[in-house]
Amino acid sequence: MSTEIEVPVPPATSGSFLSRARDQLGGWWENPNPVWVRELRQSARLSRTPVVLAVLTVMVTLLISSIGGMASVSARPAKVGVALFHTFFSLAFLVVTWLGPAVAASTISSERSGRTWEALLLTGIGPSAIARGKFFAALSYLSLYVVMLAPVGALPFLFGGVTATEVAAAFLLLLLFGALSVAFGLAVSSRFWNQAAAIIVTLIVAIPLSLTGYIVLGPVLSIAVNGVWPVVPAGPPVWLPTAYVRADFGFRYFVLLVAAPAFSLLGPVWLLYELTKANLKDTSDDRSTGVRIWFVATTPLLIAMLSSVAWLSAGAEWFAASVGAFFVYLIGVAVLFAGEPLGPSRRVAVHWTREGVGRLQRFLGPGLTRANTLLAVFGLLGFALLAAAAHVWAEVASGTRAQALGVGAVSAHLAAFFVFLVGLATWLRSRSSAAGPPRLLVLAAVFVFGVGPWIAMAIAGVLAKTDSALLMLAAPSPAYAAVLYEKVAVGTLTSHAGIVPAAVISGALLVLSGLGLSLLGKLRIQRRVSEERRWVEHWETTFATEPAPGPDAPAP
Amino acid sequence: MTQGPTEPVPVPPAIRVRRLWHRFGRFDVLRDVSFDVGQGEIFGFIGPNGAGKTTTIRIMATLLEPTFGRVEIEGVDVSVDPERVRRMIGYMPDHAGVYERITVREYLEFFADAYGVEQREVVDAVIELTELRNLSDRLVAALSKGLKQRLQVARILLHDPQVLILDEPASDLDPRARIEIRDLLLELRELNKTIFLSSHVLTELSDICTSIGILERGQLLVAGPIGEIAERLQAERAQAAEARAAEATVVAPPFGLPDLAGATGAGTAVTPSPMPEPQTLLAPTPALSPLTTPGGAPVPEAARKRLRLRVLCDARVAAGALSGGTGIHAVEPGAGGALSLQYTGDENFVAAVVRHLVVSGIPVVAVEPERNELERIFLEVTRGELS
Repeated sequence: MSTEIEVPVPPATSGSFLSRARDQLGGWWENPNPVWVRELRQSARLSRTPVVLAVLTVMVTLLISSIGGMASVSARPAKVGVALFHTFFSLAFLVVTWLGPAVAASTISSERSGRTWEALLLTGIGPSAIARGKFFAALSYLSLYVVMLAPVGALPFLFGGVTATEVAAAFLLLLLFGALSVAFGLAVSSRFWNQAAAIIVTLIVAIPLSLTGYIVLGPVLSIAVNGVWPVVPAGPPVWLPTAYVRADFGFRYFVLLVAAPAFSLLGPVWLLYELTKANLKDTSDDRSTGVRIWFVATTPLLIAMLSSVAWLSAGAEWFAASVGAFFVYLIGVAVLFAGEPLGPSRRVAVHWTREGVGRLQRFLGPGLTRANTLLAVFGLLGFALLAAAAHVWAEVASGTRAQALGVGAVSAHLAAFFVFLVGLATWLRSRSSAAGPPRLLVLAAVFVFGVGPWIAMAIAGVLAKTDSALLMLAAPSPAYAAVLYEKVAVGTLTSHAGIVPAAVISGALLVLSGLGLSLLGKLRIQRRVSEERRWVEHWETTFATEPAPGPDAPAP
Repeated sequence: MTQGPTEPVPVPPAIRVRRLWHRFGRFDVLRDVSFDVGQGEIFGFIGPNGAGKTTTIRIMATLLEPTFGRVEIEGVDVSVDPERVRRMIGYMPDHAGVYERITVREYLEFFADAYGVEQREVVDAVIELTELRNLSDRLVAALSKGLKQRLQVARILLHDPQVLILDEPASDLDPRARIEIRDLLLELRELNKTIFLSSHVLTELSDICTSIGILERGQLLVAGPIGEIAERLQAERAQAAEARAAEATVVAPPFGLPDLAGATGAGTAVTPSPMPEPQTLLAPTPALSPLTTPGGAPVPEAARKRLRLRVLCDARVAAGALSGGTGIHAVEPGAGGALSLQYTGDENFVAAVVRHLVVSGIPVVAVEPERNELERIFLEVTRGELS
């Protein structure tokens, strides 16, 4: 046996990024992901799949035909076609965003609960290949539903009122939402060892998100887009395919209808993929670099997208909203990074040394101080760039200096809170041996600071008196940025002279606290990391020289 | 240039475990476990439920990180290089699952792809070795439990690992499937694989294992070749027996037990009566008669029972007292006062034997049914001495 079987060693990868990418793609084409192939085989033999597909198709066909039949009695065919288009794709959106996560949620957790996971993991196939295989398997399964529904979805086109391009674009968007849904389900699945629990948790989160997304991204956003392109109707849920056909092509079209939706869908898919990979790794593995690269790549893109959207939407409040959106994004990342390991594990350190890993790659690797330094630098740069963009916009476009100052004030206020939050996360993680508690405490701090002062004022009855100077008591809250914007940019709240000084004082205190906590946390991390290093070195020597326990060895 | 005598290069162990600790919450599942498994050995890992066997195995298989300690497979640290270790081991977990809706061949081809084994001949070779050829197009769901287990063995052989780690490979299998798995393991031993397996079935382990390790409450009680362990325990018993014999010469049995050496008062120093001469004991006692079945035929080997005794004198003296007695087929004196007895009879017979020895002035300190050696070692090290 030993002489018969030889395990081939994979060739070392070298050359430029492009050639490596080409090789990788070629490899995927010639040797498709085994997990994907196996999942497809298993799905093909699942007897319930054709039954479920047939039932769903028949039900949707009957529904669409009924609506079409009833509507065509009194309405023109074109109007019926539009109504059917919205009905079908609204239903399809819900099917995709509910079914996708549910299907994906069972993939990894079912391997674990079915006790096939260990065998798969020990093949050495790697978390990336497993995550990709599972992702494409779930997406293929979901696509089967979309393809089965395609003839029904094409019916509205026959009635008129919508073009073939709109229908095709709607299907493409459906697949993109499917990819996002599957990535979400997979990320949840990668955290669970019980299939039923994974599906339940996924659906508990996915259904409200899906309904909220349907309303916000549908009717609500269509009203905003109608303000930019009046040819795009305000109110209907499926407006983006219509906008692709009817809006004037240009830079604005590219940014608002292509870049922004693609970024909004694919950015989270990438993050969820990285999180899935990280969850599939051991705790001693490098679980940080993938997420860190995602952060480094997407943050500048996000800043560019937010400032472009605000610029093209031509309103100072859009800039302020962009700063707010960026702040929310940074909170999410801060919570994520609050669970970082204090430093590279022994395993990672040995691999870094062995492979001669450079400083940049090490900087992107595990380590809380590195993570939060990166977060702070990118976050503060982002706030500065968004404020600068608002300033330039006010100079060259129709904005006023006050509006630019207002956006600047919002940026500064939120940046101060952000510095505090990063410091708090560093300090909390430095005192914890696990990733969960610091994350929860950071979230709790955001909640307490975010709404705490307002709740306190509401209880005290201060909020009822809109002209009360006590409003400044909410200065530590990030939500106080809205008050600040009102005061600086809009010019209301003129009687409250203390609003800006209160923001300055609270901002200064938050920054000082944040820096202090960062410093304390960093010192503690250094101490813990060096203690652990000494301990590991001591035992390395001991293990290397310890003889085999013989019959006369002392009892353990 | 002259060369000095070449010293044999020590072969590093296939598995090296040092000071292994694992903690779940506040509970130490493993406590300072250290042992080696040599190249080509079949190492049986034994212990009661909850002893920490599976935890140790999962650490060895890179599925669990130890709280402390080091495990090396073929010299590679499992905590540092799990990917390399995974290429060197084949791990079959206890109650492992299988993908049900694919055929046996598809199953093995999938794992071959996942391992990066490109040659299809490898799958054929493994199917041949595990005798699954006639089932290769059958759905995995249709296989019996024993065949699924055999499929698992086939899976772990695909990448030709040097070390096989099997957690309870014969659990839940019927006798035939157990025998088949055991034969397969023996065949793998012929291929010079190092096999580390845990099992509750001690007789099975004793058939195939070259070494064992016994774990209890997270602590390794003993590890090494079965013969060595047995000798070591025997020597310890002898030492203890001698110590007790020496003690008995100066102290009367406590708690008013009958003084076998002839003393009268409890707890007082006594002078033992002289040991009877062997020839006086060699004559069979009248109560014991010849060894035949009621029909007059000799008692078959399988019907004989075995008893181990330990006496506080020369075992040959005790053997002489029993030899040729009714129901006694064979008496083998051993070291340290140990005595092995083959007999036919019930518990009354055992009581009669003991009474006979005592009456003959031979102090008896232990009486136990003789077990399979591995069973005896297991009981001795996990519950203290058998006496």
